[in-house]
Amino acid sequence: MIQPADFLTIILILSSAILAARLLTPHIVKIFTYAPSRLDRFLDPIEKGIYRLLGVDPSHGMGWREYFLSAVIINIFQMALAFIVFVFQGGLPLNPQGFPGLGLDLAFMQVISFATNTNLQHYNGEGVCTQLPNCSTLSTNSAGQPIPGLSYLSQMTAVQFLQFTSAATGICVAAALIRGFVAGSKDMGNFYTDFVRSLTRLLFPLCFVAALIFVGLGVPQTLDGYQILHTVEGSTQTVLVGPVASLVSIMQLGTNGGGFFGANSAYPFQNPNPASDVFQIFLMLLIPTSLCFVYGHMLGKRKEARPILWGAYALFAIDLLIAFIPNYSLGPGMEVRFGGFFTSFWTVVTTAVTTGSVNSSLFGNHPLVILSAFMGMLIQSTPGGKGVGVMYMVMYIIITVFIVGLMSGRTPEYLGMKISARDVKLVMIAFLVHPVIILVPTVLAYATGAASAIGVCVNCPAASTGFTQIFYEFTSAAANNGSDFLGATGNTPFFNISAGLVMFLGRFLPIGVLLALAGSMINRKRTSEIGLKTDSVTFTIVLVGSILLLVVLTFFPFLALGPILEFFQKRVNGF
Amino acid sequence: MSLKREIRQTSLPAIRLAVISMILCGLLFPLLVTGFAQVLFPGQADGSIAHLGTSKIGSYLIAQNFSRPFFFQSRNSSLSASGVDPDITLQDAQSQVARISSATNITRDQLNTLINQHIEGTFWIFGYPYVNVLTLNLALIQSYQTVYQQLDPNIFRQ
Repeated sequence: MIQPADFLTIILILSSAILAARLLTPHIVKIFTYAPSRLDRFLDPIEKGIYRLLGVDPSHGMGWREYFLSAVIINIFQMALAFIVFVFQGGLPLNPQGFPGLGLDLAFMQVISFATNTNLQHYNGEGVCTQLPNCSTLSTNSAGQPIPGLSYLSQMTAVQFLQFTSAATGICVAAALIRGFVAGSKDMGNFYTDFVRSLTRLLFPLCFVAALIFVGLGVPQTLDGYQILHTVEGSTQTVLVGPVASLVSIMQLGTNGGGFFGANSAYPFQNPNPASDVFQIFLMLLIPTSLCFVYGHMLGKRKEARPILWGAYALFAIDLLIAFIPNYSLGPGMEVRFGGFFTSFWTVVTTAVTTGSVNSSLFGNHPLVILSAFMGMLIQSTPGGKGVGVMYMVMYIIITVFIVGLMSGRTPEYLGMKISARDVKLVMIAFLVHPVIILVPTVLAYATGAASAIGVCVNCPAASTGFTQIFYEFTSAAANNGSDFLGATGNTPFFNISAGLVMFLGRFLPIGVLLALAGSMINRKRTSEIGLKTDSVTFTIVLVGSILLLVVLTFFPFLALGPILEFFQKRVNGF
Repeated sequence: MSLKREIRQTSLPAIRLAVISMILCGLLFPLLVTGFAQVLFPGQADGSIAHLGTSKIGSYLIAQNFSRPFFFQSRNSSLSASGVDPDITLQDAQSQVARISSATNITRDQLNTLINQHIEGTFWIFGYPYVNVLTLNLALIQSYQTVYQQLDPNIFRQ
């Protein structure tokens, strides 16, 4: 059970994140309603310069198709640029360790991973070098594949670059979706304008401040190579540094989660103390929470944000309850400075907002904490990832409205608009993408022997642990979460290519379908008479209930084979 | 408009935006942060390096292998997630007091006081206390210079 001081810690962190998110809301609303702001004097000339370079008209309103197409095409070009950097890093500058380029299948998987805001990593940022500080020869994983590292240039112009752009893309598509529901909207906005403004007005300023705070707390930020030192006992030690703080700021604020080091935020240089840990948790929660408020503000009906925000936090509270049932104490796979408490709390938050960064080794976590992590990733809106969390919540709301409509025998409606059969089909497609792309590859991994090839045991007492790992990999990929059991073990062609495809579909298919839905809401007839109040407490409860029902019904058999079975096995055999 | 034409029309500005965003997010941003960080927090930005005299003897944030009986020892690397956990719990530190005391003739009380002076990780009623191994060992070396000079003169080599 949870200690009172720890309970208070959670309440304080969550309430300060919600408060800060609320304070940030008017600023984000101004960005996406193209309203005048105090930043205009400074930023307008820069942004206009960028639009001129691009050759686009920033005031041109796009339909959902054009908006979606622009987002996908830009993302593909960005992936292509990062792909080139990954593959050719060996010959490019800013590579003091001499890391060779990544293999093609790994580079393919990694660019999708970062561009889709997933950040699964089948490499170790610092490599596993046989001869430090020179890393031109690398150790291999259990499948015989090398465990590659990244040059500083790759960390900057591939990883950080895509972390910024994927976060910006997520916020933009959420803004476009909301515009579809705003009464009187004529179009979905302009993707280029949204993208540029979310970078210049939101992500750059916040990340800049956050990065400097991280450096102050002890996170390195340098372009010098690894430091070689002589310890007092006379041995040599290699200290792995690099441009870490700038990456950590966007990986957390952008709910990306991909770390500079293989051990992610368990590595002391990425997360040196409890203060930096709490600040990272705060950053993860900030924008996803803020976007819940933004939804209500942009609609002009602030109360409509209530079911989204409180629904999300109610589900988050359920995750926390599950995770804190067992006793938490410092165990193997954890870091002393975080202890059992910050480890469990982090694991729940990082999956609830689909960041996917870790501050422990997941092997050290209790099965119930893992179950709670699964819940966060399967629901995807507690409050979910940057932008997409809100989109999924709208999807759940429409499903709920439909179910409630069926039960009461009325035509389902939302915000005074009738929900048609086509709308329900679209949201069902968006919902069903998820189970299909998780469960099919999980089964394939076993059927093709790819699971046993990386040392996951299939017929042994610990088979449930192995199953949890594989199921977790694809859940994390599909939810664009990125927290990960496999790590560099997963660097095999099967897992690279399958995870790459799952991430791409898990990202762009639901976004496309939900934008199509929102696009069809523009110009739809609205009645002022409200049949079903969707801003009430009752509706929020029904919403939370239907989300749990949908997710549990879809995934229960798989959860039962993984973390639930593991829990009972450990209960019998001792933890 | 056909899909093919739409894609062709979007491609040119899309390539340009990809390149511009790569320069802004991937180069300009991290370089700007590096510049400010090196001016504002040079010590942390370079990896919180610990010094003894003028020589660099480690990083406060990265565990190193202390094997001699007169030093506090880090956790076994396989027990932590990072493999380089620089801290140990209070209990762990206290359990090493007897060994260090008999190796150095520093009293247990003095060692316990030293531990208590270097507790980190708590704030008011929050958090769990721990101590940094390198900080403790440096404090030992500096507070009991003559003792450590006798135990191993190489510690103070420049």
